[in-house]
Formats: sequence, C-alpha cells, structure tokens
Amino acid sequence: MTRRAVELPVLAPHDPVDHAAAAAAFNADVARTDWHDEALWFVRVKRDRAAAAVPEWEALRARASAIKEHALTHLDEYLVQFESNALANGMRVHWARDADEHNRIVHGILDRAGSQRLVKSKSMLTEECGLNPYLEARGIEVIDTDLGERIVQLRREGPSHIVLPAIHLKKEEVGDTFHEHLGTPAGLSDPTALAGAAREHLRERFLAADATLTGMNFAVAETGGFVVCTNEGNADLGMVLAPIHIASVGIEKIIPRVEDLAVFLRLLARSGTGQAVTVYSSHVHGPRSGQELHIVLVDNGRTKQLAREEFWTSLKCIRCGACMNTCPVYRRSGGHSYGFTVPGPIGSVLTPGLDLEKYAALPFASTLCGSCTAVCPVKIDLDGQLFRWRQRVVQAGHVSAAKSVAMKSSVRLFNHPRLFRLAGALARRGLRILPRPLARLAARPWARARELPAPPAQSFRAWYRKNRPGGDR
Amino acid sequence: MSAESVSARDAILAAVRAARPPSVARPESLRPVHQEESGLSRLDAFTAAATAAGATVTLAPRKDVPRFVASATEGAITLLSFAAGVTSTMSPHGDAHSLSALDVLVSESSLGVAENGAVWIATSDTVLRGALFLAARVVIVVREEDLVDDLHQAYERIDVRSHSFGVFVSGPSKTADIEQSLVIGAHGPKALTLVVVRADEPVNP
Amino acid sequence: MTAALFVPCYVDQFYPHVAVAALTVLERLGVQVDVPEGAACCGQPSANAGFGRDGHSTIERFVDVYARYERIIVLSGSCAVHVRLHAGEVVAHGGRSDDAGAHVAERTTEFCSYLHDEIGVGLVALLGAKFDGCAAVHIGCHGLRGLGLAKPSELQEQPFDKVRALLGTVRGLELVDLARPDECCGFGGTFSVGEPAVSVKMGRDRLRDFTSHDTQAVVSTDMSCLMHLDGLARRERLRLPMYHVAEVLAGTARAR
Repeated sequence: MTRRAVELPVLAPHDPVDHAAAAAAFNADVARTDWHDEALWFVRVKRDRAAAAVPEWEALRARASAIKEHALTHLDEYLVQFESNALANGMRVHWARDADEHNRIVHGILDRAGSQRLVKSKSMLTEECGLNPYLEARGIEVIDTDLGERIVQLRREGPSHIVLPAIHLKKEEVGDTFHEHLGTPAGLSDPTALAGAAREHLRERFLAADATLTGMNFAVAETGGFVVCTNEGNADLGMVLAPIHIASVGIEKIIPRVEDLAVFLRLLARSGTGQAVTVYSSHVHGPRSGQELHIVLVDNGRTKQLAREEFWTSLKCIRCGACMNTCPVYRRSGGHSYGFTVPGPIGSVLTPGLDLEKYAALPFASTLCGSCTAVCPVKIDLDGQLFRWRQRVVQAGHVSAAKSVAMKSSVRLFNHPRLFRLAGALARRGLRILPRPLARLAARPWARARELPAPPAQSFRAWYRKNRPGGDR
Repeated sequence: MSAESVSARDAILAAVRAARPPSVARPESLRPVHQEESGLSRLDAFTAAATAAGATVTLAPRKDVPRFVASATEGAITLLSFAAGVTSTMSPHGDAHSLSALDVLVSESSLGVAENGAVWIATSDTVLRGALFLAARVVIVVREEDLVDDLHQAYERIDVRSHSFGVFVSGPSKTADIEQSLVIGAHGPKALTLVVVRADEPVNP
Repeated sequence: MTAALFVPCYVDQFYPHVAVAALTVLERLGVQVDVPEGAACCGQPSANAGFGRDGHSTIERFVDVYARYERIIVLSGSCAVHVRLHAGEVVAHGGRSDDAGAHVAERTTEFCSYLHDEIGVGLVALLGAKFDGCAAVHIGCHGLRGLGLAKPSELQEQPFDKVRALLGTVRGLELVDLARPDECCGFGGTFSVGEPAVSVKMGRDRLRDFTSHDTQAVVSTDMSCLMHLDGLARRERLRLPMYHVAEVLAGTARAR
C-alpha cells in the first residue's frame, strides 16, 4: 500500500460544537420541533411495548452488560481469537489505528482490485472516519444504500440519528431531494412512492457495483464470523452481488460466543425500533465462492477510551439508538446539534474522549434525567458518565470565564452561612422592590421565558429561628 | 497482509493490553432464569410475531403443502425453488445478478423462532442467498416441529459455521426512513409467505 | 433518635412555606427533627455544573454538620441523590472521622422516601389531609431514577410509586394519568440557563401534558422543577398552582 503525499482532511475542523446555539436554531420552528419530538417519542413507546413483551427483559439487560464487560476486559484475547478464526474462514483481516489508516486500507483494497463503484450499507464507523469524501476524492463512486443514509447523502448532510438517519426530514423535503436527484415528479411526497423510486435507483447501483462495504453489529470471536442486521436487505444485496466485500468494524464490537448473539439480538431491535428482531440478521462466516472478503478492525480512539477508568464502559454500546429516542434534549434539538456522527447521550460520552475541547459542550447538553441509562440495553451509566465528563471539561478549563466565576463565588457563598443569609435577603428584597423588567434583566437568561419566584418576606431560616427558638443551630 | 497492518495490529493489541480494565467474569448462564409462560402455544406465538413483522402465515397439513405453495406463488412467471416438491421455472447458475427479475423464491427453513417470527436459512449457495434478497416474493416452508421458543434455543440448534452464510428472516424487507412511515419492500422482497407444516399429531386432537 | 431536615438553599430562600409544611408534617408524625445551621447547600449545583472540585468544600461542610444525625431527611430528590452518591468521597479531616462521609451518604434520605419507607402510609393517612381537585404528579428525575421513588417507565419491573401511595391518603385528591408519566421538566440546574431553548421547550411540553388532562394543580417532590415549571406557567398566564408533596400532606395546598 502506498501512502499518498497529500491527504485530504477527513475530520471536521476543530471549532467547538455549540450545542445550545444549534438547539436554539432548531427550536425556532416550534411545530417542527414538536413533530421531531413526537416522532422519536413514538419509537420510545414502541420500544416500551416490545420490552414489556419479554418477561425477562431486565435480566437480559444485565446479562448483555456483563458479557460486554467481560469481552472488553479480555479484548486482546478475543481480538486475536477472532482474527485467527476469520483467517481460517477465508477472510482477510486488516488493522487500522485511526480513521486515516482505515480509509487508506479501504482505498488500497479497492484500488488493487480496480473497483470504481462501491455500495455501502449503514456503518457509523465509516461516517466517523469520513470514508466517503476520502474515496470520492480518489475517483470512487460511493453510494449509501440504506434509504435514510441515501437521502442524507444526496442532500450532502450527515445522518442525524444512527438508526433513523433522516429522522430530521419531512417527506416533502425528501420528495424535493428525489425530484432533483432521481427525477421523481415534482411534489411527490408519498413515502411508499418515494421508497419505490429509491428501490429502483438503488437496485441498478447494486447490480452495477464492483465492491461493497458493510459494518458489523457483532463480531464473534469463537467462530470468526460476524452479524449484520438490517430491515431493508441492503447489506445483503451488496454482499451477495459484489465481488469484493469489505466489513469495517470498531474493535469494541467483538463478543465471545455464538450463544451471546441470542442475548444481543433479543435486545437490539426491541430497544432500537420496537421490532422483535430486524428483518434480516445475517451471519457471515466466509466469502462467497469467488468473492474477496476483507475485515478492517479499527481502533480510532477506542483503546484510549478503554483506558479511561471512568468511561470505558461506554464501549459496551451496541448502537441501538434507544438513548437518542428517549432523550428529552435530543428529541428537541435534533441529531445535527451534536456535531458528531453519533449524537445523543452516547455521543456525548464518546466525543469528549476524541476531542475534549471541541466537544466540551456536549456533556452539558443534558438535564442528567437518567432516562438514557434506564433504557440502555447494555446498562451504560450514561448520566453518570456525562456528570464525570463535566468535571473533566471544567478541570481542563474548557468553560467560559463568566460561568467559572459564577460557580466559584456561589460555592464561597454556600460555605459562609452568614454571607448566604445576607445575599439571600438582598436578592429577595431586590426581587421585590425592583421593577419587574429590571429584575428580569438581572436574572437573564432565566427570565427570558420564565417568571422569577415570588420572593417571600423572610427565609425559612429566619422563620425557624423565630418559631423554633429551641431548635438546634 | 501488508507490513503496515502488521505493525498496526501489534500497536492496537498492545494498546488494548495496556488499557485493559480489571477483569470482569463471564456470566455463567446466559439464559434468563425467570422465564414466564406467555400462555400462547409456540405456533400461535410464532404466527403472531411473524404476522406482526409483515409476513403472511398459512398453516398446511403435510399432504397439502404443494397446494399451499402453489397458491402462494400464483401468477409467478419466474419461480425458483429450493423446496421439495416444488418445481423451478428457471435454472440460474453461478452468479446472483441474473436473479434481479425473479418473481418468487420458494425455500425451506430448518428452524423458526416463536418469539420473533424469524426463520433460519443457512446456505453456501450464492443463488439461494441472492434469491432471498432479489426475489419480489419469498415463500418459506417450515415445519411446526422445528419451531423453538426463542433465540437462545435457536442458537443451541443451529451451527452458524456450517455455511458461509446464514440468516434469520423476519417478514418482508421494509423501511421507515421517511417520516417513520412503514413501507414494505425496501430493497428486498415485497412479500413473505410462511407455510407452516402442521405436525402430524396435534397436541390437542 | 433525632433526625435532621435539610432545607436546600433555594427552598430556604424562595419557598420557606414548603419547608414549614415539611417540618409540620414530620413533627405531627412524631419525628424529633432538627434543622441544623451551617450547611446551606449539598454541593450539587456546582458539581452538576462540572465544578465538583470547587464544590467539594460544600459537601464537606454538609458532612460536618449532619454527621451526628441518625437520619438526614432532604427536602429535594436531586440534593438527596447527590449526597448519597458523593458524601462518601469526603475524607477524614480535623474533627471529622474516617467514616463520617459514608455515614452521611448512607443515612441520607428524601422526604417522600422517608415518609413512605420509615413512617408508613398508614400513619401518614392519620394526617387527614384533604384536597379537592385533580392534580398531576411530577416526580423529579433524580428522585425517580436515583432514589427509586417510583418505577421509571423505562424499566420492566413491578410497578410501584411511593409518591402516589402517599398522596393516596389525601381525601378528595384525584391524580391524573399523563401522556408521558415521567418526562423530564427541563430544569436541570445550570442546564436551565445554559441551554435555555431546550429547557424552556421541555417545560412548556410538560405543562401542556398537565393542562391537556384537566389538571387543577401540580404536585412534585422537587421545588427546583416547580420553580422552572411555575415560572413558565406564570409567564404564559396559566393558572396552575404547584405544590410540594409536603404542602399537600400538611393541608396547605389548594386546587385552582
């Protein structure tokens, strides 16, 4: 493999993500925000129904978590076992330390085979690696074949959800995009008709493809095989038609045994979409005859996360998307506000490990309500990790000076009871005697949309001293 | 394997070893202990789950299977069969590309899963594998006695290594990527019919 | 046994009547209760904002003040969760013993938990509280998922709800079923000012769920949620009284 002299940038610039500003822009359209919130809440409701139908649901979650923790704490052994079994199955195995190395490996495989037309099924890893622009810059046609991914690809956007990549779009917008790119009639917005048009357009691409790339939902160490789950059948069409199959996978996706698949497949679709299982759960244990099958095992920051005592369990994630669907903040801010391929709570605990400064805002894009942790099929303590990342962000100084001063002085206030009483008395009086607009101004941004509490004449402490003179001080 | 990736392999494995958190033991049993009876028979549960996934389920006495399959494949001009007693109208070889205009695939499954309505098909045959996804309609015959309760039982019964490919199929291909509206027939089959062959001796005669 | 009642800073300053109600309820139930001075805050606001290190002195102070009590009853779910999770990190210093932090963490409970688990619904019923009207219950997320005040909607376990059990003793009070029983209100401490757009939207959506169910009042375990929700409701000129559970049990709450 030859190194290119000039590499195109594959990752977004270093500009910090301003989640609050993006969320404010999203919320400017109230009806649309409501629609987005309801659409995702509906998925959460379907998940609840599917989970309720499994009496041993909580036991399954506990087992899934334990299997993943076991696998991650023996990851080197399982990686080696997976590699040797995959080789024995006739697959070729590549290792990539980072996004750039992954992209070079993939390009190298295609280049050697003279492949020009790549069809891809959903792989968040390749989004994370910026593979598409890398290959396109080198003259390879890359077609995302998952319908949602194809929609955002045609619009030159990133996915806004890992399971529902185009959940932020209305059918009319999809209609406009298809009209422009696929030649559907102007104004056509019926989902069935649009999906039918995409089917025809993509069927041609499948038949013409000379290579396919898929992700993996699970890689099984014991057998050297892997499982790909889809509803559309797109991964399978690529795999069965193209002469070259590349399967890219993050190293954390390894599970020890075949029997573990039962646990994870029972949880995955139920958590993600509320289906009992995806339409296709495809198990690949070797290339088709005449086919080349390459596996690319990718680190790209995962070993760093594994080394972080407070955050390594985030690698248990099976990418079901349930934490996004349940997150009241995600539902009302949209996936793009997170500025990363994986948005929502799990994105907010994965990204600070990649670039603390750039993603400093994300651990704060949460009320720490904990719904994500309770819904997670592998029991990642997402709210706890968000809390801990907040400490790291502040300790690293990636926080505004104003906030820093405010927090530190409030701590001083709380530690000096007399000072606290004085400040409280002044604030209460201020709230009472200041004209309301002025009081609101003083209390921005709280008071932009909310009234301040009506200030009582005296604090509880003052009342207590008067009314329980014997009370302990 | 290139020299570059050998060193990447070593670097990654070394990084994993350096990062390894304290060992967590593998759970002893994967099978949850608090299995409650759902009250549904295995067949009823399978039928309900498969129907919910968008499949059409028909129950056929053993002797009537060919008739049921014939009715499920009615109108097909190109039909490919991997099921006993059902004749193909074409004989493709080698590659799956020729199957793009296939009307119907008829195949057999060795196992069905009651909890999710999925049927298992394993094959190293590219034509069968391709037809599963390229045919407009798929008909799969599964025997009632090959139904299991859940995926735990399923994985006890199947050997994923026996073929290069194996798949659980639950319903026709579908997408909800446009406004969460369910559309049947995304890339693959637009219809799935499951013909369940009744066990010869019903439990409650 | 003497128990301590911890009145969080914002309750002390803005909602003294809620603390009075809580104290009254506890005293009527025969609990010997102190409200010691010296710790105005548990350290949660600064820690949740990422300033846990700076706020550590606050929770140290909390431990020093409350270590001598057998029971520490906190008038807020989120403060109680913070103390239970983090007081154990406080180490020995000066007159403070080795196990003071752990002792405080272990013995800290929240007002509703305390009434339900240690006093018992039967005794609480003897308070004879009345409330004429329909109310929605809003359990703060930390109390819900961090303390287990009720079964969160995500978990597939036997349903239980300690807050509703307590409110079930109140004559005339009817509780409505919300479309989203335990959706977060959007307060989230500094989240309310750091992410105002989403925070406000969440609060308004929560209010809409209340009002679309003919709710005449909102009853909560946390005044911080209510400070946010009530602030939004009043700005929208929505007449929807909001009360802490303690006020309802003390008989000082009134429907709209």
